[in-house]
Amino acid sequence: MAAAAASARDRRRRSRAPAGGAAHAVGIDDGEEQHLNPFLDAAPSASSRVQFRNMASCARWVEETGAAEVVESRGNLWLTTGVTRAGKLYYNIEEIGFLAERGALILLNDKDETIGIDGIYEKLAGGNYGCSWDTFQAYKHLKSLGYIVGRFGVPWTMKHGGTCDTIAPQMNILETDQSLNRVDGVSNDITKLLKKMQIDGISPSFEVYLPNSKFKKSSPGSPCFLLCLLRGKPPSRVELEAVENNFRGIPLKYCHVDNGRVSFLSFDEVTLPSLP
Amino acid sequence: MDLPGPRWKKGKGGKDFAALAAANPMSTIVAELQAKLRDSEAVATLAARTRDAILEVGKDQAKLLNCASFGTLESAGTEKQWFQLGPEEVFFLCHALKCVAVESENRARVGAPELWDLLASTSEQFPEMYRAYEHLRLKNWVVKSGLQYGAHFVAYRHHPALVHSEFAVIVVPEGKAFGTRCDRMQVWSKLLCVLRASGSVAKTLLVLTISTESSELGSMDCLEQMIVHERTITRWIPRQCREQQGKPRREETNRNEQRQKSCREVSSNEEQEHTCGGVVFSYWGVVLSFTVLSSLLVYKLKF
Repeated sequence: MAAAAASARDRRRRSRAPAGGAAHAVGIDDGEEQHLNPFLDAAPSASSRVQFRNMASCARWVEETGAAEVVESRGNLWLTTGVTRAGKLYYNIEEIGFLAERGALILLNDKDETIGIDGIYEKLAGGNYGCSWDTFQAYKHLKSLGYIVGRFGVPWTMKHGGTCDTIAPQMNILETDQSLNRVDGVSNDITKLLKKMQIDGISPSFEVYLPNSKFKKSSPGSPCFLLCLLRGKPPSRVELEAVENNFRGIPLKYCHVDNGRVSFLSFDEVTLPSLP
Repeated sequence: MDLPGPRWKKGKGGKDFAALAAANPMSTIVAELQAKLRDSEAVATLAARTRDAILEVGKDQAKLLNCASFGTLESAGTEKQWFQLGPEEVFFLCHALKCVAVESENRARVGAPELWDLLASTSEQFPEMYRAYEHLRLKNWVVKSGLQYGAHFVAYRHHPALVHSEFAVIVVPEGKAFGTRCDRMQVWSKLLCVLRASGSVAKTLLVLTISTESSELGSMDCLEQMIVHERTITRWIPRQCREQQGKPRREETNRNEQRQKSCREVSSNEEQEHTCGGVVFSYWGVVLSFTVLSSLLVYKLKF
């Protein structure tokens, strides 16, 4: 689990270490940064190009819920993305951004006109739909690696198949559309419940599950870890203990976003063994 | 002091990129970028809560942004591309080059003085960070975030695809106006930590001290009063110099010597960590450079 949860950079670093060792520090070189040469390369890399695939799904933005209702679903992305309410599939803004950047989703407004990627970035930049720009970077990073990522406290579905390892058992009783969103700074039922559980300090943004082809929204099981986004200063011991107290038993990871680069860290409490 | 020279990267055929860089001086690229952005009346949108901005550009401007190494590409469509800019970058394009207008997340235009206030209010260190960034960029160095190396910035002689960065840059404020900003140069463990991290990636540590006579940093006007002093910190290895006659330490090729040296440095690092106070982890650069160091040490000790 530790290996899976390591950042992509660590994996690249290890895989690039030459077999014979090296004179100076291996891996932590500028070479770690893959820089495209704009003086020679003609076009942006394929990974950053938005190409609408034939298999693009289609969703309509619903302002009141701050999410998009999927009207035409193509491919398998829906198995691990979006939440289901009353038989309908909804994507939140970070899911929309991630899918749209990959050409897998076309977003429409209420007049069925296409909202381009610039309109989606505007919604992310505004930060009014439960996800801000840096949170989106962290979401994207994990999703690109195949992790299954859901907003913390937002159930994948209201129908529960097997036992549901809910972090917040009170969530089950909420069956309104308000459960789609936990909007930063705007109180709704969900945030009020969550505020009872956590201090206004560090709180989890996402529940993260390992890549799993058999993932079922009706019984997702326990997440691999909860991800907390950190800004400003690194967390103090007091802040760390406060958030750990609220989520006993579930591993916590923290991330910091700097200029689009996401660093993932664990701050684990340990007890060193006393030695003979 | 003679500064170390650039380490150019190599292209296909093994030739290094020095000639390519010489044929495309950064000053020319930046001037072209400035003209193109002005002509298209480019607008950057600030993101709420973070200090990044998103800039939408056409293909020509995108190529120049890439060549001048501003921002990171977020995504590219058929006609337009979107770049993510950091706070120093957006302020530089807006105020120093005057080629980008800025809007807040609710589409209201933000002028340079207001943008300064906004960026300074969300980050206490913004005034000195920006002054350092501007100082280097105006000398046509390419400046990127150095957080991953435990520094504030890394400075390149040209585009990062053509050359390895030469300097890990630490910005140190000096003067009453900066208040009691805790800086890593006041604690040996932090200084040596940064030095070690930068040295392990073959960079020289450049310290930019920003001094000011003025008593407060409330507005953008304080920029003119800030003076930048340049100084490098390098480690001198007596043993190596004796053997190699003063060659820069970057050129070590003897693995045994490296291992012995790293063992000596490991033990000295451990001693210093015991004595450092509670402020060590106040800054992300320190946290990240310690994580870089510790993973490095694990790697080295395996051999």
